[in-house]
Parts: sequence; C-alpha cells; structure tokens
Amino acid sequence: MRILGIESSCDETAASVVADGREILSNVVASQVSVHQKYGGVVPELASREHLRSIVPVVREALDCAGLNFNDIDGVGVTCGPGLVGSLLVGLTYGKVVADALGKPLIGVNHLEGHVRAVFLEAFRVDRRPSLPAVCLIVSGGHTVLYEVAATGPPEPLSAALLRYGKIGQTRDDAAGEAYDKVAKLLALGYPGGPIIDRLATHGAQSRRAHAEHIDFSPTKLRGNPYDFSFSGLKTAVLYYLRAHPELQPEIEERRRVLGSGERGGDKLVPLCSPQTLGLLVAFQKRVVAELARRTLQAAEEIAAQSILVSGGVAANNELRHSFEREAEQSGVPVFFPSRQLSTDNAAMIAAAAYPRLLSGQRAGLDLNAEPVLPLA
Amino acid sequence: MHGSWLNGTMPSTEVVSSSPEATMEIGRQLAQRLRPPVLVLLSGELGSGKTTITKGIISGLGVAREEEVTSPTFTLVHEFRKHVRVFHVDLYRVEGFHDLESLALEDAFVEPAVVIIEWAERFVLRTDWPQVAIHLEHVEADTRRITITLPKN
Repeated sequence: MRILGIESSCDETAASVVADGREILSNVVASQVSVHQKYGGVVPELASREHLRSIVPVVREALDCAGLNFNDIDGVGVTCGPGLVGSLLVGLTYGKVVADALGKPLIGVNHLEGHVRAVFLEAFRVDRRPSLPAVCLIVSGGHTVLYEVAATGPPEPLSAALLRYGKIGQTRDDAAGEAYDKVAKLLALGYPGGPIIDRLATHGAQSRRAHAEHIDFSPTKLRGNPYDFSFSGLKTAVLYYLRAHPELQPEIEERRRVLGSGERGGDKLVPLCSPQTLGLLVAFQKRVVAELARRTLQAAEEIAAQSILVSGGVAANNELRHSFEREAEQSGVPVFFPSRQLSTDNAAMIAAAAYPRLLSGQRAGLDLNAEPVLPLA
Repeated sequence: MHGSWLNGTMPSTEVVSSSPEATMEIGRQLAQRLRPPVLVLLSGELGSGKTTITKGIISGLGVAREEEVTSPTFTLVHEFRKHVRVFHVDLYRVEGFHDLESLALEDAFVEPAVVIIEWAERFVLRTDWPQVAIHLEHVEADTRRITITLPKN
C-alpha cells in the first residue's frame, strides 16, 4: 500500500511516497531556510507564500522519484497540525484536492506523531526495532516534549501498530532549538543556531585541551513536574556571561559584520571565534544536552520503558546523539534516532504515520481543518 | 505584597521583583485591571522576564495555567480563547521586519481582546486600543525592576 505524505507545518515543503508504512520510495524536501535567514527565523506569511510556490512541484517530484503516477497512490496523509496555520493550510488543501480528485482516502496526521514514526522508519531500514512502551523526546525549534508511547493493539508489525501517547513533560518556556537560536543571535553566529553551535562546540571540545576555556553552567532547578524542561534561565546565563566579559564584544561585532555581508556557515565562523567563545558554546551545548538526557532517562526508568526514542530537528545534533547513546548504554535502555535527514521536518514520517490509521479504517473528510495547536496527548 | 502600586494614581509605577515567582504575581495582579480591548506592550532585554510576567497575566486572566504559557518566539503568536481572547505575541525574531501584515497579526485586532506583545519596541502599532506599557530591567541575578505605565483615566 503506497501513501503520499504531504508536510507543510513550518518552513519545509515536503512530499514523500512510503510503501506499507516502512519503505521510503521518495522523500522530497524544499527548505525555505534562505528565505527566512535574514529575519533569524520563520516569518509566517513569507512561509505560506513559499509553500504555495513549492507544493505542486514538490509533490510531482516525489511521485517522479518513486516512478509513480497519482493513480498509483492508495491514500494521502497530510499534516493538519500543530504548526503555522497559513503554512498548514497550503499542504492540507492540496492534499484534500488530490485525495478528492483521485477518489482516494485522506488521513489527517499530527506532525508530532510523524516525528515518532520517523524513528521507526530508520529502525526498519537498519533492522533494529525499538520495543514498546517507549519514552519519546521530541526536540526542535518549536517543541520540547516528552511522551510515553505504547501500542493500543498488537505491537507487531510496528509499521501498522496504532499508538497511544501520554505526555510526561514539556518545556515551560523556550524550546531547546529556540534556545540555540537565541544564543546564536546573542553571539552573532547566524541562523539556524542549532547546526552552527553544534559545529563550533564540537570544534571547541576537540581543541579544548589545547586552548578552549573551561566554563560551566549549573543544572536547571524546577518546582513541580520533574520531567518539565526550562531553557530560559540558561539563555539568561549566557547573556550574563557576555555582560561580565566585555572582551568578547569586538569579536561579536566582527561576526555580525561578516554575517551582514552575506557570509554563512560554521566553517567561516571558526576563525572568528576565540577559545573563550568556543568554550562558552561547549558549556551551553553540554548543559542543553544534559538537561534533555537527564529527564528523558529518568522518565524511561520511571515508566520502565523498553526503549528511548529521540526525534525532531535537534535530534540531528552530534553532542546530543553521543550523550544519549553513552547514557543509555549505562542505563541499559536502548536509544533510537531517525536518520539525520528524517530528524528535521519531512513527509515520509507523515506518510508512515498515516499508514496504520488508513489500515484501521480512519478517514478524514473534506472538512479537515488546520489546527495550529494540536496536542498529541 | 505588591498590592499598593495598583491603587496608586500615578500613571507610571516602579516595582522591584526578587524572583520569577514574584514577577508572575505582579502579572496576576495586573491582570485584574485589564479589560479588553487592551494592548500590553512588554519591553526589556533577553531574559529580563517578559515571558515570566506574561505567565502571570495570562493565568490571572484565567485562560491558561502558568506552565501552559510558553515562549511564542517560534510561531510568533499564541492564542488563548476562553471567556476572553488573549494573544501572546513575540517579536524577538522579527527585528528589521517592517511589514506587520506579514506576521498575520491582524486577526488579533478584529474583535476586543487582550493582546500581549513581547519586544513591542520593535514595531509601531497603529491601533486606538488603550495601551499598558511594561518595561523590565535586569538588576542582578533574579532581581528585576519593572516599570508599569497604565493608560490615563
């Protein structure tokens, strides 16, 4: 059974064809990063316009790459939330039209469930399956949330298993990816902050013994739910560090000038970052990752999870992957990630999430609406 | 503990908060004075407590719990729709972006609402709604100076 997946919840226009919820026949993503870069983040109306421009060619390319026609599709899975409403509407409307014109079933998919399924897609590819129940950390620019994931019926085959979710914790202020973006902005490192800081921090950690400065940020303390996250205080701690160290201002100005002239990319920035700045980035990244890992592993222990799933854009982060793998090995609970390509927004995960719903007879009507706030649990 | 400033007749009041909890409490008290339509303009540096005071205002209005109020930096706008419509807007990322229509903010102003805007100083908003201005400043570690200017009358 072949499902066409469509995803447009934020700043990527994506389409994909996935067979039987497990085999990716095509996976096309048109990124808008260059459009939003100068604003340091996604501008909703610009995003909608870009989606409109891209949706038809992206879907066509997904079919071409799979060697299929519209008539070869058995159903359409489309993201209906959460996300930017204007962005969601583009993919959703196109998906409805395709399904209606072809007389094929339409399935509305929660974007967050897509991120969970992205982990499974990689697991099928490498033939290493996560067992349920699992804890799943979804961590990106817009989300930092921890779920319990369990099967509602037979857990095998996993591609066809319907899942239920229970929210364990979430961020109380900034998403982790947002904290990366804000710190990148404070230090004039460009946008998006995650991949840039990851690269600079990796460089800093490698050269650390030689010259990077040692800085430490203390763990975040929160009252109430021990599985909630907070990254606002860490962002403020970075700001205070910069205030206490005015000697960093000249290099920040220099980077701002270089970025303003159109230069992008971590490699260009490495020579413009002092050992002190690299040390600061090492400490920042270490703290973000430690906060994510500590709570996720504690939650896994609490619910006796069989596996740990980590997905979303920040799951592409090197330090995060290494840290989770290290700690999971110690705790004995295996950890699973999507491929780096499937960590960020894509439509293969949407098609994969639509598959069990289609099998179970779920259908969305043409009244399916975009939901900017759509909780998974 | 901070009740006195609310009874004052001064158009502008300064209070000092010594913790995020106290900042939220100031927000909760301010909420009692807010009647839609009203615009709440928040200014102050990164980490000065704009989202924290917003948590207080929104919980004080009774439309969401404090922990449900998170930073809208990524999506720019969070909407709460209960007995009163509340919009929580964050313009942090849109520095240098002058086309307000492109932010899809016009929806917020079509009917009376409480519209709370972080980094409000980055935009000139054309509206005749009454405006409450809140400026937050770092003093030290957890201490913030908060200046609240209420509309005249």
